[in-house]
Amino acid sequence: MNKDMKILIVDDFSTMRRIIKNLLRDLGFTNTDEADDGQTALPKLEAGDFDFLVTDWNMPGMQGIDLLKAVRADPNLKDLPVLMVTAESKREQIVEAAQAGVNGYVVKPFTAATLKEKIDKIFERIETPA
Amino acid sequence: MVDTTRLELANEFLDALEDGDNDHADEVLAAIAAERESRLFEEIGKLTRQLHDSLSNVEAGSELAGIAENQIPDAKERLNFVIEKTENAANRTMDSVEEILPVSETIRTRAAQLEEDWSRFQRREMDVTEFKKMGDELVDFLGELRTNSDKIHSGLNNILMAQDFQDITGQVIRQVITVVQNVEESLVDLVRKTGVQVVPKKQVDLIEAEGPQMNAESKDHVVNGQDDVDDLLSSLGF
Repeated sequence: MNKDMKILIVDDFSTMRRIIKNLLRDLGFTNTDEADDGQTALPKLEAGDFDFLVTDWNMPGMQGIDLLKAVRADPNLKDLPVLMVTAESKREQIVEAAQAGVNGYVVKPFTAATLKEKIDKIFERIETPA
Repeated sequence: MVDTTRLELANEFLDALEDGDNDHADEVLAAIAAERESRLFEEIGKLTRQLHDSLSNVEAGSELAGIAENQIPDAKERLNFVIEKTENAANRTMDSVEEILPVSETIRTRAAQLEEDWSRFQRREMDVTEFKKMGDELVDFLGELRTNSDKIHSGLNNILMAQDFQDITGQVIRQVITVVQNVEESLVDLVRKTGVQVVPKKQVDLIEAEGPQMNAESKDHVVNGQDDVDDLLSSLGF
């Protein structure tokens, strides 16, 4: 896994973005950028060469699930790995996210170990395609 | 509809008049008047009850109006205060953590280096110049360790102090809970007095974002922690 990969963190709460940023840095990922909802995230994704997207679900403006769908619908972004980190915990929502093509789903509150495990799993799968 | 009571009384009145029994005729006439009066009282009673009910509703309404006018904006202000307080606390904590992390990283790196040097010395792989250098570094490191421990100590104290939000926000949230309870009671009261039919609860939208779930353990449509999420996803072939 490339530790220099560019990661976009999307959450409407600056404190949660800061937590995720710190945890990612602890895992060795320092090349991060932030956005506070889908609407601000999408232009960044379209413009920048991001390798990984970590997004919340419940945000004003454009929600995370819609951002995920928009990413999958964009020919340039459709293969971008997406990890959802959210307090949304209804079974139907998780199924919806899975069907929309999410690569991992972490429910808040989460631990540093969970975040690491999910990121490892995502890139393990990408690097060793079945 | 034939009013039999009054008809009977009227016939009795006529009979009395025909018989020339004026006293009885007066009695019957009084009875007719009394009967009429009692109907009037009954009507007045009904009206009074209606008036009372309307007034009570207005009272409940004005109570709600008072809550809407004063307590709700006040509650909103209080909840915004909670957001502000918790956000400040989180940032203060993370400020300290971000200060402490590089300090502990420095300690770790230097300690590892000295450990390695010491091993080399024990294996007699070190000449006198190097040994003297290691001695100087060791002294440096110990001095640095003392300063860095102070930094860590003060950072941890800051983190401790940042937790004071819990007490303050707890009190504020409790006040807001009281407001919510008042609103609930007034609404229930209003519904009871007006006899409005309570519309059955609308079905939950299973995709709509709701934020954190309360009492997740007792809800079947909600996962209970990361293990549940992982089980669900693996059942979907993830």
